[in-house]
Amino acid sequence: MNSRNADLQRRQRFDRVVSVLHKDLYRYAAWLCRDPGIAEEVVQEALLRAWKSLDALREDGAAKSWLLTIVRRENARYFERKRLETVDIDNLTPSQSAMLAETEDPNVADMRQAMYQLEDDYREPLVLQVLLGHTTREIAELIGIKQGAVLTRLHRARIKLKEAVEKEAAA
Amino acid sequence: MKASGTDMNCEDYRVSIAADPSESFDAAAAHVAACVSCSAYKAEILALDAIIEKALHIDVPELKLPELSPLANDENVVNLPFRRAARLSASSWIGIAATFALAAVIGWQFTGNGTEQDRLLAAQVLAHVDHEPWALKVTDVAVSEAQFTRVINPGIGTMDRGIGLVSYAQTCIINGMNIPHLVIQGEKGPITLLLMPNEWVSAPVALSGESVNGVILPVGDGSIAIIGAREERIEELKKRVVDSVEWSI
Repeated sequence: MNSRNADLQRRQRFDRVVSVLHKDLYRYAAWLCRDPGIAEEVVQEALLRAWKSLDALREDGAAKSWLLTIVRRENARYFERKRLETVDIDNLTPSQSAMLAETEDPNVADMRQAMYQLEDDYREPLVLQVLLGHTTREIAELIGIKQGAVLTRLHRARIKLKEAVEKEAAA
Repeated sequence: MKASGTDMNCEDYRVSIAADPSESFDAAAAHVAACVSCSAYKAEILALDAIIEKALHIDVPELKLPELSPLANDENVVNLPFRRAARLSASSWIGIAATFALAAVIGWQFTGNGTEQDRLLAAQVLAHVDHEPWALKVTDVAVSEAQFTRVINPGIGTMDRGIGLVSYAQTCIINGMNIPHLVIQGEKGPITLLLMPNEWVSAPVALSGESVNGVILPVGDGSIAIIGAREERIEELKKRVVDSVEWSI
């Protein structure tokens, strides 16, 4: 195979993988950093890194966890570089506010706000489980903590969300 | 309270279902089938999850791919100096290699206070080395530059070949990812290096056996396993190996 064909096949493979997973990557990034603008930057940078190391991915079936790992690292790098302050829910940028834009369902709107305010340690495993369909073992591997700790965080996350939306409904 | 005929009590069930609504844990189905109250709690958690899922589905902007330039040719990317390691006599090499190869297949251990993920990775590293004992050949013949650059490709990063005589270089698989498996000739025998840019460890993981010793070192967002003969001065080698590698990812 000549190098031009190899480049073309490589590009086709990359496009195929990214087109299937792009939404998951973006939503994961957005819920990690809680800012759609930053999420776009993080995903772009992650895709560049993925492109450079695509040959390390032996099977496309492993692409999802591979790309999520890259997004996770890129998000950490971004915040290392920028040293951003924590998000103040009462003083959001327009980009941050866009994430909390009203939906038709008030229950979903309340839940989105509760998710937004949930601590990182609880929010991330929940996103991986509910949105991305990861098992608790897969979450443990991705985050680098024990499976028992993942279970504890998931349990607490749901209890916190339940209390938050009940409080909001009662107000 | 335990539901009739089950080993799980209500509190355990509720903690478990709130952590994993897929009910993949043992005895869950039996408990919820026999407990009306927990059945209602499960329905409540599933309803909560349905709302969580909707809340997480935020709008996604149109995909804009970054500029993806074709990768440079290998020969343009890796252009490394070559330096031979100190040489031992052929007979002493053979003896060392036999001991090393035998040790590799009989009961290694890894120690330290790493996470479960660290231990899983260590187990995979050891299993992999055990499955490629032929890589531990004692020789003074280095792999070709072409082979080296095929294995240490731009997708992985770069490596300064001056760390020693590289006698083996193959692409292998750890956790479903292609990784470079190298062997360099050390002072006391062959030394295995596994470069794992996608496998992070929380802290150095020590690997020890009767005749061998090694370590998995965190390096950037990845890790490098270094495994040599018992007498090999791995400590001295660590910094050289780490300094010689730069990940592209």
